[in-house]
Amino acid sequence: MASSPPVRVSIPSLRATAAIVALGLQADGAMQVPDSAADVGWFTKAPTPGALGPAVLAGHVNWKGRRGTFFDLGKLSVGAGITVNRQDGSTAMFTVSKVEQYPKDHFPTDEVYGATDHAALRLITCGGQFDDTTQHYRDNVIVYARLAHAHAA
Amino acid sequence: MRLSRALLTVPAAALILALPAVAYADESVQVQLQDLNETGATGTATLTATSGGDLKVMVRSKGMTPNSPHAQHVHGAANGMDFHCPDKSADANGNGYVSTEEGLKMYGDIFISLTTTGDTTKASGLAVDRMPKADAKGNLSYERTIPAADLPKGTVEHLKDLHLVQHGIDANKNGTYDMEALGESTFAKSVGVNGIPAEATDPATCGMVSGAAAGSVPAGGVATGDGSTSGGSPMMMYTVGGIALLGAAGAVVARRRLAVER
Ligand SMILES: [Cu+2]
Repeated sequence: MASSPPVRVSIPSLRATAAIVALGLQADGAMQVPDSAADVGWFTKAPTPGALGPAVLAGHVNWKGRRGTFFDLGKLSVGAGITVNRQDGSTAMFTVSKVEQYPKDHFPTDEVYGATDHAALRLITCGGQFDDTTQHYRDNVIVYARLAHAHAA
Repeated sequence: MRLSRALLTVPAAALILALPAVAYADESVQVQLQDLNETGATGTATLTATSGGDLKVMVRSKGMTPNSPHAQHVHGAANGMDFHCPDKSADANGNGYVSTEEGLKMYGDIFISLTTTGDTTKASGLAVDRMPKADAKGNLSYERTIPAADLPKGTVEHLKDLHLVQHGIDANKNGTYDMEALGESTFAKSVGVNGIPAEATDPATCGMVSGAAAGSVPAGGVATGDGSTSGGSPMMMYTVGGIALLGAAGAVVARRRLAVER
């Protein structure tokens, strides 16, 4: 599919759907995150969902006392569908190929952001133990998916 | 305890941005340069669109005519035209070589001239004095960032539709571009340059976009949670670097425990 920014993501098997906000980089080089439990962010320094390459969406497991849209992301099974509505009116439908959990200090940067020969999607949230000292979860849950169908506007 | 402390934490990392109006992302595309005209030359190229709209071009190829300049261009168009790298069937005059003119129908016109300095428009397409030279071993290395202002309209939006062609072959294997091999370049002649050997302008490699990656890579993991609710994201299997730490049975127990916690 041609490049077009995402506007909404839906995961029917988790009964999850969310509007998309844009995410860039923080001053320390880490990815920004949405400022609401409900919103899911699209990392703008990577391809758009549906176009060749890895598109990256990040959402909270929880935020400010609320369960996030990606609360159940780790339960997503291989073969499940993810739908992304795009600004140009088209729809990109992805199929989950694997779900993994990594300590944040062993984040698989190349696998998530590196080159792919197909239209790929990565969904990221937090998982594992919450570290009271750092006030962060120790792990990230990463869903890898590839484009299965494209619906034109 | 954990819950209340997390709630007091100020989420300094959080930010909401409007979606960019522009229909493209900051990204990097990979091009595999395949040999054309049986030169045996191959290579890779990376085109990276930076957030400022500039284009960073990196080319590495080998098996090129040694010690010789190689005109190289981004070919194609930004209007959705579907150009491809040519195969042997593009050799219309049947002389055994796909010339630049014969190839143009397949790979499109010169879109950007990948010169080492100065102008990068189509006008510099045959400016061999500003084109990269292969070393004595036939290796060619090129890097240049072309400012946004110098890029044709639609370059970044249509990055994945474009391809790269390197020119310059040594058909008679005498170590230089000469008229004896394939005669004069009718392509050069057609743009008003006389006396250029066809060897200098015939394509040596062509590559289409075969992959894409993020243009900038964030450091470390992503802070997508503040611990302000319990549970969440239980995994079927816990993996570190792709190695499962828990077997299927362990994972089931872990899931059950999480389910009970909630
Ligand atoms: Cu060319």
